[in-house]
Amino acid sequence: MLEIQGLSKSYGKNLAVDNVSFTVPDGRVGILLGPNGAGKSTIIKSIAGLLRYRGAIRIEGIPSRNIEAKRIFAYVPEIPSMFDALTVREHVEYIRMAYGSSISDEEVEELLKEFEMEDKQDKLGNELSKGMMQKVSICCALAVKPKVILLDEPMVGLDPAAIKTLKEVVLKLRDQGVTVLISTHMLEMVEELWDIMFVMEKGHIIGSYNREDAQGKDLDELFFEMTGGEK
Amino acid sequence: MRALIYLTRRSLINNLKKAVRKPTTLIALIFAVLYVIFMATSLGSLAVSIRLDSVRGLVIIATLWTIYITLGNFMAYSSRKGVIFRPAHAHFVFTAPISPKLVLVSSAWMNYLTSAAVWTVLSIGGLTVFQVPAWKVLLFFLVGCVFEVTVELCIMVFLYTNDRLPEKLMGGIRAGIKVFLVAFTLAIVLYFRENGLSVESASAFIDWPVLRMIPVIGWQVAVYRLILLGPTTLNLICTVLYLASAGIFITAVFRMKCDGGYYEEAAKFADDYAEIRQRKKNGEMILSMNEKKRRFRRVKDKITAKGAKAIFYRQLLEYKKERFFIFSKVTLICVIVAVVCSYSLREAVNETGVPEFFLLGIVAYISLIMSGYLGKWESELKNPYLFLIPDSSLKKLWYATAMEHIKALADGCIICIPIGIFWHVRPIYIVFCILTYVIIQADRLYTKVIAQSLLGNVFGKTGQDLLRMVIQITLLGLGATAAVLAGIFVNPQLVFPIVLAYCMLITVGMAILASLRFETMEQLV
Repeated sequence: MLEIQGLSKSYGKNLAVDNVSFTVPDGRVGILLGPNGAGKSTIIKSIAGLLRYRGAIRIEGIPSRNIEAKRIFAYVPEIPSMFDALTVREHVEYIRMAYGSSISDEEVEELLKEFEMEDKQDKLGNELSKGMMQKVSICCALAVKPKVILLDEPMVGLDPAAIKTLKEVVLKLRDQGVTVLISTHMLEMVEELWDIMFVMEKGHIIGSYNREDAQGKDLDELFFEMTGGEK
Repeated sequence: MRALIYLTRRSLINNLKKAVRKPTTLIALIFAVLYVIFMATSLGSLAVSIRLDSVRGLVIIATLWTIYITLGNFMAYSSRKGVIFRPAHAHFVFTAPISPKLVLVSSAWMNYLTSAAVWTVLSIGGLTVFQVPAWKVLLFFLVGCVFEVTVELCIMVFLYTNDRLPEKLMGGIRAGIKVFLVAFTLAIVLYFRENGLSVESASAFIDWPVLRMIPVIGWQVAVYRLILLGPTTLNLICTVLYLASAGIFITAVFRMKCDGGYYEEAAKFADDYAEIRQRKKNGEMILSMNEKKRRFRRVKDKITAKGAKAIFYRQLLEYKKERFFIFSKVTLICVIVAVVCSYSLREAVNETGVPEFFLLGIVAYISLIMSGYLGKWESELKNPYLFLIPDSSLKKLWYATAMEHIKALADGCIICIPIGIFWHVRPIYIVFCILTYVIIQADRLYTKVIAQSLLGNVFGKTGQDLLRMVIQITLLGLGATAAVLAGIFVNPQLVFPIVLAYCMLITVGMAILASLRFETMEQLV
């Protein structure tokens, strides 16, 4: 479970996120939506522990800055940044060590194969295209075997095959009881994935929906209903 | 910790493997080793020539190094900018279940390496130049490498991870250190101006007891004095204080809580550092990490020109939005050159009776050597629209670089007019010098385009610049020799027109060759 309680973050005098609270229960896929500048990235970075903030963030009930919370949490940032001098395989190896992950060599092979990276294992970080970096970033996050996973615009830069794989992986994670939070602008990409959605505007959550309460409405229909825009 | 060691080890091994495969790294390494040997022997000779080659000489150097490096580190760490992080740290390390204190300590390995290198050099110097007994050198090295680095590490952890100290207080401390460092440097300069630069005067300054009473820094100096010069009451007391404070620091650092609050500044630093590295790689002149993001003025203007001419007017619009229009750091360097040359060389040059030749020499030297002259034209080649504009490649080249010629004209005027007036150079020769400057600068641009085409990225920007200099010096050198010969054997007045005409001829040739580069983008290596 991922719990956000009274989260606020200011940059100087600018209040980017104002007292935001929401929860994504175990084994559910949450979608964080909102126009540019709504404060999504600030929330994502706060959850990932990259920002100072006021309020509380808990991962499976443990404060997010705690080492134990980090051990079961994986993060896929919007813009992946690789270590220039580390190969794809070494990135995964580093993650395995840092998180003490139980992932086996066979599982790593399988993961890389799933994202068509098995023949690029020896490529260095600075030799990868943006799409490949995104794939490595996703593979590293999955190598953690997390209980909570945070994906920030994960489909950007991916080819159609990788998008399809990622969608399957997200559904598989959900079935395994993993909590997933995805921040995205690409509503049609997450249409079949979401269980619970949160819409942000100007640093606030302006509304949320469970799939069961949506009465079969499309994600973009719900989104534009809340933001007052046109579909 | 195992993961961080793995990260550093693998990065090092892969970098070494890559370096072995690249010829440029090997060449750079040879140059670096030669340069270090040259610098070390030069400094050794300098120490001998100013009679600093004694134990006291080493005390003086160690004292100055300790004061500057400790205060400098304090400033960098207090603004959380003293440790180099990369964007990949924010992605893979800050989010990992690793103690933030451990992340900080392990990421600062470059800092420890620098310190270790300095103390190694000083210790070798201690044995060879300063004639210090071996056991003293060993102790000196250990204190420098172990204690000083440990104290530095403690200060770093304390300042990075301490979220309780208000930012205003830290800002005040930083400002105080800056004032102290400037005042201290000024005091040193004034002192040596009064008393002359000798080992006696330096010793008298460094022996000042108040210096050793400054907490931590002064106490550290006292330890070196105790080792190198022997015990005095003050040295002993300060050494005890230093060891006690080191113990307190270590305990405090172990007990301090840290949940990774500094990751916010570290991640921002990583992004800024990556951006600056990229800008430097592109040839931009960056003087400090603190350079603020550029702000642009609001300008209401329309680009009405058509074809390749639109490139020039787009650049003009961009420059109008800049704070100082076409004037940049290069302009500032030109002003400094003009001021320094105008005053300092005036009498010496006027005694020769041919100041115009000296002015021409300065112009040639500056335009051939100065390479950090990145204008908007260089980014044009990375812009696909340049190649899509339906116009001839020669026109594209001309309009993409025309603004650079205007900038060169302004810089040429800034250099030549004041120097010319102060040196009493005839106006016609000042004009010749300005035009020569503009032409050589233009030639530099076009030759650089050719050097880029010839070398690609195999030898990097430095390799391209070296080739550019070789081509330019060879071609323009021929013309200069011809002009000098004509000046000696025919008429000295011929030097200026011959130089100008020859440079113009070569530049036009280079421009035609360089224009081929504007045909297709594929040539970008």
